[in-house]
Amino acid sequence: MVSEKVMIKNPSGLHLRPAGILCKEAIKYQSTIHFHFRNTTANAKSVLSVLGACIKSGSELEFVCEGEDEEEALAAIIKIVRDGLGE
Amino acid sequence: MYKGTNASAGIGIGTIRIVEEKELVIKRETVTDSAAEIQRFKGALETSMKQTEALAADLATRVGEKEAEILNGHIMLLSDPMLTGEIESMIQKDLVNSEFAIETVCTNYADMFASMGDELMQQRATDMRDIKTRMQKVLLGAESVDIASLPEGSVIVARDLTPSMTAGINPANVTGIVTELGGRTSHSAILARALEIPAVVALAGILDQVKDGDRIVLDGSDGTVIVNPEDAVLAQYQGKREAFLKEKKELEKYIGQASVTKDGVHVELVANIGKPDDVDKVLQYDGEGVGLFRTEFLFMDRDAMPTEEEQFEAYRKVAVALDGKPVIIRTLDIGGDKEIPYMGLEKDENPFLGYRAVRFCLDRKDDVYRPQLRALLRASAFGNIKIMVPLVTCIDEYRAVKALVEEIKEELDDKGIKYNPNIQLGIMVETAAASLIADIFAREADFFSIGTNDLTQYTMSVDRGNDKISYLYSTFNPAVLRSIKRIITCAREAGIMVGMCGEAASDPMMIPLLLAFGLNEFSMSPSAILRARKMITEYSTQELQEVADKAMSFATTAEVESYMKEFVNS
Repeated sequence: MVSEKVMIKNPSGLHLRPAGILCKEAIKYQSTIHFHFRNTTANAKSVLSVLGACIKSGSELEFVCEGEDEEEALAAIIKIVRDGLGE
Repeated sequence: MYKGTNASAGIGIGTIRIVEEKELVIKRETVTDSAAEIQRFKGALETSMKQTEALAADLATRVGEKEAEILNGHIMLLSDPMLTGEIESMIQKDLVNSEFAIETVCTNYADMFASMGDELMQQRATDMRDIKTRMQKVLLGAESVDIASLPEGSVIVARDLTPSMTAGINPANVTGIVTELGGRTSHSAILARALEIPAVVALAGILDQVKDGDRIVLDGSDGTVIVNPEDAVLAQYQGKREAFLKEKKELEKYIGQASVTKDGVHVELVANIGKPDDVDKVLQYDGEGVGLFRTEFLFMDRDAMPTEEEQFEAYRKVAVALDGKPVIIRTLDIGGDKEIPYMGLEKDENPFLGYRAVRFCLDRKDDVYRPQLRALLRASAFGNIKIMVPLVTCIDEYRAVKALVEEIKEELDDKGIKYNPNIQLGIMVETAAASLIADIFAREADFFSIGTNDLTQYTMSVDRGNDKISYLYSTFNPAVLRSIKRIITCAREAGIMVGMCGEAASDPMMIPLLLAFGLNEFSMSPSAILRARKMITEYSTQELQEVADKAMSFATTAEVESYMKEFVNS
């Protein structure tokens, strides 16, 4: 299991479009990919789960990947979030 | 006559076509073969996805990629493993029919989104209901309302239009839209504006007042709706419709034209924007730049301060999109009237006279002002950015900001980071003090922009939000006019650019006076630009001198207003 923290910088937080981009990246990997924010945990492969976490701009998320390709998955997810999820 | 929310400008006249989704009757039924039922669900899911993809592709080609985005969002929701997983496991565990499982699971999510109290999330609730209905219709073999085949001259009246319904609208046949629900930012309103169909939304109870085939007129500019109008009223609206279309066509002619008066005085017509996306509108209406980019949006509705990077991206985006045209960006203008928990601003007894804007920023250099100014300087390498400081009252404030900017420039030099070394630093003139010492400011500031909303408020000592005293709030008050004239004169004498970014800059009664005073730049909402350009090209500043002298000779607001009204209408 590997994990890393990253800040969400999308102006309107994780709304549908950036959440969709995050999920599309996540489903490319075999590992389970979750993130923790305060008391909630969301499944990064489900856009509904990501939206349900109601993440606003400036929030710090901790991504956790577990599985065969966990290192690769975590690096890819952190990069795409840092790059602004298409915004 | 009814009054709703004006959502898309223009006059619609036509025959009412009530568009109603037939209420689907979803019953709980027990299934014996859950595996077969899951297959049935999967089949319906696939058909729904294909339908949505086709709708999205059609909308993208007919209207635009942006408008199709909401349907692409539906595809993402339909393919969500959590959603389909929950539906399938409900079918398996409870041995229920697909329709019922979809109803239960999707409604749960819709309710969850609706309870989040965030506008974007509210829209997700609508999306969940829309995809729920789409899958259930496929399962039940129910027909969708065929909006695409409505006859010419139809005015759609509906409770609400779902994205999948609006996607089929043919603007050649639909002359208007009236809905009971929705708001100016709802999906149907946005699409109506993109398709240029007049629309009135949020008109509660209209469906109980009309029937299919009734005649209707609607004014999407003021929200008026009249059902079965008398001939005289109908004729009046036909006239209005023609005038609206004629004006629209006439204004389009001013796209690409110079903003120059009959006697050859060039002015700049620029736009006020609140977020980077607004740039589309600026370009659509041929704005010659941005006269006021408010940066508050970056700081609102979030849990932590935006980073320098994040700000840099937002400023750079606007500078690049404007491609060398001037972009005046105002530094943070907040105070105790705004709830931004992470800023640690205390409630001010008198927020508009308190710890706000440049006063606050200069007190919070390290965590607030420096990152913003550095982001602005870095973004200045990508376009024609100018920095504007709000709420200055004394020259010390301007000098302090200037010194900070110079300090940051040196830091950037040391690190080899690019910026525009000649970046202009100007002030928003919006306080009585700044107006009175405009001559002093003009010696040091690179430009002025007059913020008439606050200038009027501070000059007249009037809170424009208070109905009991709002009669005092007028830019035509002789005190405010004298202040504006003084600011412009001081700037012109010092040879610096002077603009205006308050509502007065697009007021037809104010424009002649501003031209006579010698204003260089008019900044307004993008949709007002072409009308202002038309007006400006019809005036000669020399002829206007007399009008301005006369206007300045009156003692009361009422006299100035009635004189200017008469002049504009003559």
